[in-house]
Amino acid sequence: MSSNILRKAYNKRPSSIISRYQSISKLFLSSSNPQIQSTDFYSSIDKPQHHASKFEFLSKNASGVSLASNKRLNFSCGCSLNNTRLLFSTQAAVQPSTADGLTVDAIVANQWTILDESESDWKSHASAIAQSIRLIKKRLQWEKLKVRLEMLSFQLEKPDLWDDPVHAGKISREHGSLMGKMKLVNGLEQELIEHIDMIKLAREEEDHDLESESVKALLKMRQSVKEKELEALLAGEHDSCSCYIEVQAGAGGTESMDWAGMVMQMYKMWAERRGYGVTVVDEMRGEIAGIKRATIKVDGEYAYGYAKAEVGAHRLVRISPFDAAKRRHTSFAAVAVTPILGDGSHHVQINESDLRIERYRSGGAGGQHANVTDSAVRITHIPTGITAACQNERSQHQNKASAMAVLQSRLDQREMARQAQMNSQYTQSLTDNSWGNQIRSYVLHPYRMVKDLRTNFEVSDTDSVLEGEIDDFILSFLTDSMDKENE
Amino acid sequence: MNLSSLARLSSLSTVFASRTLNRSIAFKPISCSSSVSVPHAPTSLNPNLPLFLRPPTFTATLSDLQKWQNWAKNLASSIGSSFTDSDNGPDSEILHRELNWLIEDALQNPKPLLTRNDSDHDIVLQLRADLGDLYTLWKQRIEKRRPFQYIVGCEHWRDLVLSVEEGVLIPRPETELIIDLVDDTIKQNEELKEGLWVDLGTGSGAIAIGIGKILGDSGRVIAIDLSPIAVQVASFNVNRYNLQDKISVKQGSWFEPLIEFEGRVAGFVSNPPYIPSGHIKGLQAEVGRHEPILALDGGEDGMSDLLHLCKGAALMLKPGGFFAFETNGEDQCLFLVDHMETIHHDSFHNLKIIPDFAGIQRFVTGIRI
Ligand SMILES: C[S@@+](CC[C@H](N)C(=O)[O-])C[C@H]1O[C@@H](n2cnc3c(N)ncnc32)[C@H](O)[C@@H]1O
Repeated sequence: MSSNILRKAYNKRPSSIISRYQSISKLFLSSSNPQIQSTDFYSSIDKPQHHASKFEFLSKNASGVSLASNKRLNFSCGCSLNNTRLLFSTQAAVQPSTADGLTVDAIVANQWTILDESESDWKSHASAIAQSIRLIKKRLQWEKLKVRLEMLSFQLEKPDLWDDPVHAGKISREHGSLMGKMKLVNGLEQELIEHIDMIKLAREEEDHDLESESVKALLKMRQSVKEKELEALLAGEHDSCSCYIEVQAGAGGTESMDWAGMVMQMYKMWAERRGYGVTVVDEMRGEIAGIKRATIKVDGEYAYGYAKAEVGAHRLVRISPFDAAKRRHTSFAAVAVTPILGDGSHHVQINESDLRIERYRSGGAGGQHANVTDSAVRITHIPTGITAACQNERSQHQNKASAMAVLQSRLDQREMARQAQMNSQYTQSLTDNSWGNQIRSYVLHPYRMVKDLRTNFEVSDTDSVLEGEIDDFILSFLTDSMDKENE
Repeated sequence: MNLSSLARLSSLSTVFASRTLNRSIAFKPISCSSSVSVPHAPTSLNPNLPLFLRPPTFTATLSDLQKWQNWAKNLASSIGSSFTDSDNGPDSEILHRELNWLIEDALQNPKPLLTRNDSDHDIVLQLRADLGDLYTLWKQRIEKRRPFQYIVGCEHWRDLVLSVEEGVLIPRPETELIIDLVDDTIKQNEELKEGLWVDLGTGSGAIAIGIGKILGDSGRVIAIDLSPIAVQVASFNVNRYNLQDKISVKQGSWFEPLIEFEGRVAGFVSNPPYIPSGHIKGLQAEVGRHEPILALDGGEDGMSDLLHLCKGAALMLKPGGFFAFETNGEDQCLFLVDHMETIHHDSFHNLKIIPDFAGIQRFVTGIRI
């Protein structure tokens, strides 16, 4: 009967971890209640109490999850900034642990064999999850993140913080986002520990239903945490932004313009596959085929995080259909990617008087003389010489607004690169990739192969790649560079 | 001057009347060749609802639409740069883009056409016009050089989408800047922001609506046009942007209907006809063959209406009031400024000539002393 009740609780959505635990503690009496503690449930009696208390403290603040078994120690520790700071300086030492003192690190250290997912072995699942958590931490640059958080909390405490509201806004945004990451990881660690406690408990009770359900829950977690591994690749400050992708044909006339057109088409299809919105902002077609250059806007979460992996020169080798002599040609297309920062997080304030705004591709007397549907606008930022153009909107006003947005993000990116150079401490080295760097080679003749020169990842189905199946290239690059970088 | 302008007015009105007549015969509204006829006019104001506002009562499979699109694309490609070479008309790249916009306006949900989903060729799309109508429209675009904006019944202008049809000038991108000039002015002058503005020769109502949207709560606009079609279309657009309490559209000649506001107007804005009569024949086909001559012909040197309006500005504006006129270019700007400095030298100051984004000296602005 007890297991039935438990199962009901168990089947609820994730928040049920708490309720489940509560029901367990009610049914079986919690270990943390010394008077009625039944040591049978745990192999180890001397569970370090301070451990639990600190954990309680942590979980209250960091993940909002509270262990019912520790209710007794539920001292108040609100969220005042002082406490927060204390929290960050202490939590490095604290890790959630099972009733018998097992921590995530200990699980990793145990090196339990990781079997296939289909094997219903809790130790294997637990081990896999613990490994994933460790990888996530690594990708989040855990140690740096903690230092950074501490620094940010320190700054947030300053009484004069809001004297500079722009700076304050920036700090609080970053603080919020890093806190989110910290909570995520803390939550995962805790969840793993709770699952293990449950399994052990079920075993003690010889409740096989409960045990198998707990193992299933663990398996589920193993799968979801795998996805989080990927998400952790995109933890850069601007990774979640939408972005612009710009493709420019290299030297070599029609063949390379055609190639630039193919590359742009590949990104359009990739973006559509991922469910992103795609709009052409600026496009300069080649006279015969392809494009001289083009810029698209890719709208959606993490568009920049993924697309930034594409920055660089892309090389094509094939027999050119534009060469009557049917010779083999090598051509290049350069790809640049710019994040679109949200309002209020711009790094550069554009001065209207620094701009030169021009209508282009306009000839003749204009005004009432001309009927045009083309109202292309190019904006030049005179001090930097950076330009942006848009011609795909239906009014000049909108073309100007779009071009301004492109210009803004280019200036922002330039400024971020400058700042990154100045303080190389907490930066994303990926964006530094100059777009002259050759990153990938697409060979269509004499054999067919797309190969990433950074990761050596390769695919022989060139058509699928050119139709936008580039996720594997992106992920392998992100994994590689992330995991290398944090070594 | 009075006499000649009167004469011109009456001659234009004749032209105008004959064109209207012409139009009602020649211009068959984009109608449903299908038997399921659609009530096109929910409001009696405008008989020609822009395509994008019509109900999506037609259907076609994706593959049928794509076949039509290929036909239309090929037709556009066949033009190459011949229109550009002959009269600075659109080349095939621009026509291709127009084609995409036509499809965008015709489709209830333009999204799926962008993707290449080879598998679902027979998905059924909801259209706002029958494929047969689209065929006729696109042929008119290419073969008759009918302006794209008349084809789809609207023009995107600033952040507005304005209904337009034969008989009404399609607002030009250059003219958008007048709103920026007004905006700059009223930002610095609260009194003007809350005052009475007039848009003379309002056409589709573009300038009036653009100004109406940036004025303060008590700011008002009177929009005037001689053409009854312009008055109809402008009223429709004003209603569509829900500005009927702020903007009143009146039929009449220039500032005649405004006599009661003499000396009380805060802003006086116009894009009057300014093309010299001799240039009308050589205009780009889209303009010369399809747009109303009443909106284009500015008399022998193109300045008749502009000069008339200078007088109006002197008469109507209150001290500190602002005016902005669009012109044909540098010559007209210089002439206007010179004229004002000599003939109306005690009426205006702060006269400025302002270029458009193509670098052509396009606008004259000033302040009533
Ligand atoms: C060049 S169009 C400008 C239309 C509109 N304001 C725009 O910018 O798109 C000139 C307008 O002046 C109108 N017009 C011509 N003669 C007029 C007159 N005597 N009185 C009032 N309006 C007149 C025409 O009907 C036409 O709508």
